[in-house]
Amino acid sequence: MSKYRITLDGKTYEMDVELLGANGAVIAPAKVAAPVAAAPVAPKAAPAPAAAKPAANAGSGSVVAPMPGTILKVLKKDGDAVKAGDVVLVLEAMKMENEITAPVDGAIASLSLAEGSTVGGGDLLFEVK
Amino acid sequence: MDELWQNSIERLNARRESAKAAGGAERIAKQHSSGKLTARERMEALFDDGTFVELNDQTMSRASDFGMDKKKRIGDGVVTGYGYIHGRVAFASSQDFTVGGGSLGEAQAQRICRAMDKAMEMKAPFISINDSGGARIEEGIDSLTGYADIFYRNTIASGVIPQISVIMGPCAGGACYSPAITDYIFMTDYSQMFITGPAVVKSVTGEVISSADLGGAAVHGSTSGVAHFVYPDDLSCLNGVRELLGYLPQSNLDSTLEVPGVAVDNSAALADIVPADSKKAYDVRDVINSIVDMGSFFEVQPLFARNIVVGFARLDGETIGIIANQSLYMAGSLEINASDKAARFIRFCDSFNIPLLTLVDVPAFLPGSQQEHNGIIRHGAKLLYSYSEATVPKISVIMRKAYGGAYIAMNSKGIGADVVYAWPVAEIAVMGASGAVNIIGKKAIEAAEDPVAKRQELLDDYNEKFMNPYIAAEHGYVDEVILPEETRSKIATAFKMLKTKDKILPYKKHGNIPL
Repeated sequence: MSKYRITLDGKTYEMDVELLGANGAVIAPAKVAAPVAAAPVAPKAAPAPAAAKPAANAGSGSVVAPMPGTILKVLKKDGDAVKAGDVVLVLEAMKMENEITAPVDGAIASLSLAEGSTVGGGDLLFEVK
Repeated sequence: MDELWQNSIERLNARRESAKAAGGAERIAKQHSSGKLTARERMEALFDDGTFVELNDQTMSRASDFGMDKKKRIGDGVVTGYGYIHGRVAFASSQDFTVGGGSLGEAQAQRICRAMDKAMEMKAPFISINDSGGARIEEGIDSLTGYADIFYRNTIASGVIPQISVIMGPCAGGACYSPAITDYIFMTDYSQMFITGPAVVKSVTGEVISSADLGGAAVHGSTSGVAHFVYPDDLSCLNGVRELLGYLPQSNLDSTLEVPGVAVDNSAALADIVPADSKKAYDVRDVINSIVDMGSFFEVQPLFARNIVVGFARLDGETIGIIANQSLYMAGSLEINASDKAARFIRFCDSFNIPLLTLVDVPAFLPGSQQEHNGIIRHGAKLLYSYSEATVPKISVIMRKAYGGAYIAMNSKGIGADVVYAWPVAEIAVMGASGAVNIIGKKAIEAAEDPVAKRQELLDDYNEKFMNPYIAAEHGYVDEVILPEETRSKIATAFKMLKTKDKILPYKKHGNIPL
């Protein structure tokens, strides 16, 4: 039995989906005994640690450059309130425009980069306090 | 029944009861109160209902030093046996933390080894559930030899039967190396693995760190890459093991379970998921979920080296292994951890006859001193080696970027891909336009009256020439340029054709993969 969440016209439905074989036999590796049947769509059961980023010397609200590159856009400034997931910077690196987002809710601090400046991998970009 | 029979039966029943009683009601209650199942309950949860059969339940230590003759218990701190998972036989051991902290002595090791030997003879998977304080100090070097016997068997069985380690409590010191040699490590949130614990770390280095921060599931699932799967508790974790085994064959001589799924082809959505502008990122898992059987994608190491996504899925009911560059993280570039992660996955799939699908959108190997000094050369080499060596069917889809050495490394034609597809927006080149023009156009730009205009002209020329899949197709490095909506059907057709692929490497003891 797998759990699916489906959003239709803004309304969210949760449904249990059971995979049936040609003869109607249950073939999904679901076990009755288990209260938390792991859905076949990736190990969702694994709780995503909020900020499981490669270790940096800074605290949990700090964001470091994942790789060397050039700051293409600075969308926030010190003191701006952000929510986790908000785009703060765009880092052009490795042939891509990489959106750098706030890891947690809070206010931006220590953001001193200008558009066009270059950063090295692991450099502190900004903090969220 | 005469009295002699009666006595014999009572004696057996008493011994059986003693084995079942494990470490006693109090310790079992303690195990339960910390949210854990007992060793036997874990076996029941792992196997299909009612199929678990215990082996060597009367195992007993022969040690007598340090008062061991008075402490020893029937079973010796482990439960072993076999049962069925999705109707197929599998063998397992499950350490019993309620008996002497699950510590491993000579008899426990022998019991585990006997079950491993059976798994090898029966060509069936072996699952090792770890919940142990470590070596049984009272048994000295016999305990260490017990570990050695297990490691040796793990190594010999590697690539023959799937071996899965499940960490459901402490796993410290040398004990970590059995899981490390096996194919997959599952951890629960409250388990830990480390070679030296926090106390030793503190006494040697002065560093103060908790056991969770040192070797907890979150650390091994994301930072170290030691664990492949992390689950919140015992039941969900064992169900995860069952789910994984549903994708695997019983051995390297067997084929995988065919699970007729829902073959929904969402390839039509691919052009909406993947921006044609190759500077824009997207979640490659959305691509995977659009082309495999509905809900069948099972990601391996989802939180480690997230710039590459690997995992199992089913295509028309049959297991395939998927390797895909993830542009959401580090622009999908290849670096040390991604190379290790993908190489190990490829070698697992090749060992167990699982065909490989590679979804390519890779800008390059990540530059920088950090990468060079930590050995990206030898780590990246593992990826090339693994793809080259794999004899299973190998299909690539170049979705967007495929540049330089990273293009070669991602299952290119040259290193043995059977079929390479490319989407019409693919960019297959030795390097990006601006880098290339700076080198090959240096003199022309310097000599030009208007260097800026000349540079632009050269850029346009380079983009026009190379930022497409057609040169690669003309030269046969791409077999076919396909529309995104044709992706699933093309892949499925090619895998069907490749079913009888029979490629044999020249005789060797084993290759010498760069480690």
